[in-house]
Amino acid sequence: MNAAIETTDLVKRYGARRALDGLTLAVPRFAVLGLVGPNGAGKTTWMMSVAGFLHIESGQIDLLGNGPFNPAVHAGRITILPQDSELPHESRPLELLTHYGLLQGLTRQEAAQSAAAMLDEVHLGDRFNAPIRSLSHGMRKRVMIAQCFLGYPEVVLLDEPLSGLDPREVAHMRAFLTKRRGRQTLVISSHNLHDIEVLCDHVAFIEKGRAVRLATLEELLGKASTLVYALTAEPADYAPLATAVPDATLTFDAAVSSLICKYDPHRATPGEINSRLLPALLPQCGVTTITCGANLETEYLKNL
Amino acid sequence: MNSLRQMWRVACYEWFDALRSRRALVVLLLYMAAALCNMHWSINLLHKLESELATVLQLPQSESTGVVSTALWKSKPFQRIMRQMTQNDAVLQDITGKHPVELIYAWFAFFYTPLLVVLVAGNRIAEDLGSGTVRYMIFRISRASWTLGKFLGQTLMIGFALILSGVAAYAVARYRLAESAPPGLFANMLQWSARAWIFSIPYLGLAMGLSHLTRSASKATVMGIIAITFCFVATILLRHFAADTGWRAYLPHFGMLLPDAHKMCLWRSSPAPLATGSVYLLTLGFCYLLTGYAFFRKRDA
Repeated sequence: MNAAIETTDLVKRYGARRALDGLTLAVPRFAVLGLVGPNGAGKTTWMMSVAGFLHIESGQIDLLGNGPFNPAVHAGRITILPQDSELPHESRPLELLTHYGLLQGLTRQEAAQSAAAMLDEVHLGDRFNAPIRSLSHGMRKRVMIAQCFLGYPEVVLLDEPLSGLDPREVAHMRAFLTKRRGRQTLVISSHNLHDIEVLCDHVAFIEKGRAVRLATLEELLGKASTLVYALTAEPADYAPLATAVPDATLTFDAAVSSLICKYDPHRATPGEINSRLLPALLPQCGVTTITCGANLETEYLKNL
Repeated sequence: MNSLRQMWRVACYEWFDALRSRRALVVLLLYMAAALCNMHWSINLLHKLESELATVLQLPQSESTGVVSTALWKSKPFQRIMRQMTQNDAVLQDITGKHPVELIYAWFAFFYTPLLVVLVAGNRIAEDLGSGTVRYMIFRISRASWTLGKFLGQTLMIGFALILSGVAAYAVARYRLAESAPPGLFANMLQWSARAWIFSIPYLGLAMGLSHLTRSASKATVMGIIAITFCFVATILLRHFAADTGWRAYLPHFGMLLPDAHKMCLWRSSPAPLATGSVYLLTLGFCYLLTGYAFFRKRDA
């Protein structure tokens, strides 16, 4: 498998508690992987182990086919946005990022250009020389995000990248991260499942230090092969529905009062399914929304 | 080569950042002010003592401070007293004839530098470990480069502080002594600053080595203060209990592991003991630092 990160049977203990309990996970190259799991599941511990911050008890880590993290090999190729880590208070964003760029092997000119471009990208072009201590929490977070993308690294690990940002910056950052899809390998840990759904193409569910499921978002949610109709009531008669879409599978989820229609995307488009199914459905009940695919939150809760 | 370059970059940034940090700047300015005041008060005291001495000994009164002391240096009974104080004939011989102002500054620099080191640099590593700042560094460079870079940066910072204090002390001495200031006083005072700088290195290694053991900046400072106090007291005790025979004959060897045991070498004028002492002190500094680093290398960041 052409994996950017491959971890096998990772074990990390904090005292008696196992934060990672044999976690095995492979992140394909150029994937945008979302790590989803409850608090204390091991997402941050996994990222910190991959970045070489933590010493693992057992297991194997392979980064870009060059073994575990080694700054001599991986500096500038793998970066991380660590959680709860402050930047030096007296530093200035531009000079600090230039310094980081130099340390990861960029030339002075490249480092300065990359730092300025990244700060512009995170809308801090007017705060180049403001001391970090004078920046708001959200601005500091943007500097932290900017430092991850200096010099175009191959793998970027982002721990809660969008928390603490205002709605406008969240939207901008989502667009910024989406642009990198297919060009860099991104691993995003977040409790906001909507962000994961929008940004990622792969999802891993982590639970009690283990990866309980790794799948593409398409496999998990079936965006291209499932239509979900939120209904005002359950249809009384399924026969006309089955006749309208004979090749599709129809199931009703009473918990969310939705009709789930799974179809073969090679044989019909969502538009064709809608044009055939809705005339049979509307005489029986009202349709409040139609969405492509399932909801990540629903799928995640199902997997618990 | 790459590691050395990275280490140098960390050192330069560390120095620059330390200069910008208000706490370090305040300590540095306080140290400079202390050097300045120490020189001013010492000259006052020396002048008074010399006046009293001139009266008692019925010598002609002199307006210039240091003239009587310089004459006094040459008297045999005074040299006997000094020999008992220094317990080192070679040192006594080397400092005999030096202007008292120079020696006052040297005493100040040697006595207070360990404290300056602990207050300025003692918590720099613990602070970065506690705040998580270190995490932005160690996926870019090795932990060793980071530690050595920080150490080098703080070494530069202490050197800078000592040069500033030397200049401040010289300015006061020059102003107070006016025409009677001995030739070459500025160069001599800078030379004492340089010697105190070498003396600061083992303390820097000790304070920064200990700083690897905790994530609390205040705890690191307290640990540093306890460590320098321990070194000071242990040196006195080892010297006091040392004997020529039995197990107490080994005590001076243990003393070699403490910086104070090599301090007297830095008071010498001849290059051989000066170089030996400097090498010992540098080695001690690195050993202390690397002991702390060995712990950090194995710990989670």
